[in-house]
Amino acid sequence: MTTFFAVVADQPGAFQTTKDTFGLNGPFFIAQVINFFLVMFVLKKFAFGPIQEMLVQRRTRIQEGEEKLKRIEKQLADSEANTAAAIARANEDAVRLITEAKEGAAAFSEQKSQEAIANAQGILAKAEAAGNADRERISIELKREFGRLVAATTSQVTGKVLTDEDQSRINEDALSKVGN
Amino acid sequence: MRFVSISFFLWLFGLVTAFAAPAAGHAAEHHALPLNAQPLHSFLPVTNSMIMVWIAVGLIVLFCRAATREMALVPTGFQNFSEWAIESLYDFLENLMGPHLTGRTFWFFGSVFFFILVSNYLGLIPGVGTVGWHLKDTEGHAAGFLPILRGGNADINMTAAMSFTFAILWFYWAITENGIKGLAAHIFAPKGNFKGIMLVMMVPIFLFVGVLEIISIAIRPVALSFRLFGNIYGGEQTLEKLMDLVPKWLAFLPALPFYFMELLVGFVQALVFTLLCAIFLKLICDHGEEAHH
Repeated sequence: MTTFFAVVADQPGAFQTTKDTFGLNGPFFIAQVINFFLVMFVLKKFAFGPIQEMLVQRRTRIQEGEEKLKRIEKQLADSEANTAAAIARANEDAVRLITEAKEGAAAFSEQKSQEAIANAQGILAKAEAAGNADRERISIELKREFGRLVAATTSQVTGKVLTDEDQSRINEDALSKVGN
Repeated sequence: MRFVSISFFLWLFGLVTAFAAPAAGHAAEHHALPLNAQPLHSFLPVTNSMIMVWIAVGLIVLFCRAATREMALVPTGFQNFSEWAIESLYDFLENLMGPHLTGRTFWFFGSVFFFILVSNYLGLIPGVGTVGWHLKDTEGHAAGFLPILRGGNADINMTAAMSFTFAILWFYWAITENGIKGLAAHIFAPKGNFKGIMLVMMVPIFLFVGVLEIISIAIRPVALSFRLFGNIYGGEQTLEKLMDLVPKWLAFLPALPFYFMELLVGFVQALVFTLLCAIFLKLICDHGEEAHH
């Protein structure tokens, strides 16, 4: 360090010599500084400015495109998920409806069967009642006819005109023997 | 592969012709490129390198206009190429300095890189540095050579203009990112987690390191200037010397292989200058960048 300063101090003309040798010149130096500033101005205004703006614009567009793509992918995924959920829900509803329809059909069928059975039983009961009534009526008619025939036969056999009391007694007697 | 083979044979042939020329007793007329840029006229304060800088600015303007006249979201042609170039450099710097610093300073680093690149390649156009006047003094003796055009970065004034502009901007960015206190702490404060007696012992050491750091910071623009100037001037000088080694009708040949090397050097030097500036800025703004993250 000391040596450096000593060398500089010992050679006061070193700078001047270097300046003269290499042609370092105040006005020329300033002129070249101005030229260099001119270069910087030109490049900044006509090259770096517009081109960097374009690069930024393109980068922004690419980023926007990527964001859009991500958004579309997300929407697609959401849509697929929604569709899958809707299909699942529709399946569940369909299964439920089928089950309900099956259960409804079974209940209806059962109800109709019961009704049919009840109707059939009603019809049978009515038929049975009607049959019983007919049998009772026919039995009464038969008994009456039989009594009349017995009375007529008795009257013809005996030649006796039967009174109502006789007829009644003969009928009862005959019916008691036939009825069993 | 064919390109490499052709380049190799041309280079080999160039070497043979270069070494054969002195043996043949050829007395080449030497006109070395002067070390400094010269004014084209005593009353006109315009140097030959300034003309090249203006040509470079004009070309950059034309290219930028062509690239950005009808900007489209799907780029083609010039727009596509310029977007590729600018985006590649931006990404490269972003990896180095982080998004905040790059966004803030790209206008400078981009300008430095593309200007140095264009300027270096313009300096390789045949005629630049070789077409001019042989000067004579009042007594009629040869007094040097004045090329009409000279590579922009083969002029120390141009490289110094860029370096010292960067030095001033570096100082501005360092203060705005760290604050004056932060900048001083960054340079002088002990680095590491020292406590107690160790801290007391480290303070003078880091104060001394800070002084060295300030000297290093002060030397940076000088080093940047001379590194770029030396490489570009050296390259042009090499090409001229190689051309002087052979008869004029063969002058193109020995220099031809070195043109390919100079194309590489032109790109590498543009990258080195930009990279060094970016690293210097990153080093001083490290805390600021961490705070932004």
